[in-house]
Amino acid sequence: MIGIDRLKAPLFVSWQLTRDCDLACVHCCTESAPGRRLAGELERGEALELALQLIRCEVPYVMLCGGEPLLVPHLFAIAETLGNAGVQLKIETNGQRFEPAAAERLAKLPVRSIQISLDGATEEVYARQRPGGALSKAHAACRAAASAGLPLEVTFAPTRINIHQAGAVIDQASALGAFRFNTGKLMRIGTAARLWERLEPTAEQYSRFRQLLDHRSGQRGADDMELCYRPFCIAEGLQDSVVDPPATLLVLPNGWVKVAAALPHVCGDLRRDTLEQVWDAYRRSWRDAMILSEVNQAIAAESLHPRANQWQSSLAAQSTRRM
Amino acid sequence: MDKTTVAAQQTDQTRDRSATSESKPRIDWETPRMEDVSEQVTAQPYIRFT
Repeated sequence: MIGIDRLKAPLFVSWQLTRDCDLACVHCCTESAPGRRLAGELERGEALELALQLIRCEVPYVMLCGGEPLLVPHLFAIAETLGNAGVQLKIETNGQRFEPAAAERLAKLPVRSIQISLDGATEEVYARQRPGGALSKAHAACRAAASAGLPLEVTFAPTRINIHQAGAVIDQASALGAFRFNTGKLMRIGTAARLWERLEPTAEQYSRFRQLLDHRSGQRGADDMELCYRPFCIAEGLQDSVVDPPATLLVLPNGWVKVAAALPHVCGDLRRDTLEQVWDAYRRSWRDAMILSEVNQAIAAESLHPRANQWQSSLAAQSTRRM
Repeated sequence: MDKTTVAAQQTDQTRDRSATSESKPRIDWETPRMEDVSEQVTAQPYIRFT
């Protein structure tokens, strides 16, 4: 019996509330950007109903993300519904509009992490990777989280644009009070896949990056920020998943649920199915010969990873047919 | 058939079958607990980079 077969519900739900974003990041795996709200995203009432299902099923940990979740008018209603029922929360944000009032409101809830992306150590590099964004705002968001007593996590997506600043970003994240720094190899999905020739770091750059991460990890004291970079790439993550599939559901903005971030396959629709039914379908997916074959192909060939967002074109085709 | 939604279609088929089958052995499901959420999951470096 694999781990997920023992559980009546997932341990963790990663819930993309919207595809809309106020930035147009060149590395974005969800292809988010201003005005990119997905057709058929869950409305407030549907989203709150899903939150109640997560509570009823006793899911212990939920991540609210996007796109940019702070663009969603009902973000706080969802967070408070979940948090007031004891569900632990993680919020992923680019930090461009994460102000002290938002931090103080979230600090009343059981928030395990506010994760803010710091993809550069200077305004110039940050803005090249995150067009429309300001590093000063992201830093201010980190300070707002820390001031409110919220646990701060930082993420860094390495590209040819910013990888030379990785060490400086680690230093900044530590100085801002982050308890963890998440990174790994750039995913060849979404906007990153489209711009891959411009973004993919060289083997030499990755080699120096790994040395930096290993070195900083080796120097780390007991109270220092944790560096989290294993698995380092999608293939390593999928290899782990084949042996022990994660008890994690990835909920898309329209309520569809993916089998894995790096695969295009959808195993359920939370508009149509209950969470229990989708969880059952997810568990069966990891025994499905076709899915396992696709996973093994994705492990073997990074060039297949851009297919991960094919569910979006499938949805667009459905929308077109309905018109 | 749309390859990306195969698993969802299988859900429908299985649900129909399960509605008529009452002989399945009872499973003692465990309630998910925060203590079982791994550090790897809380960090989630490979859920996404956005």
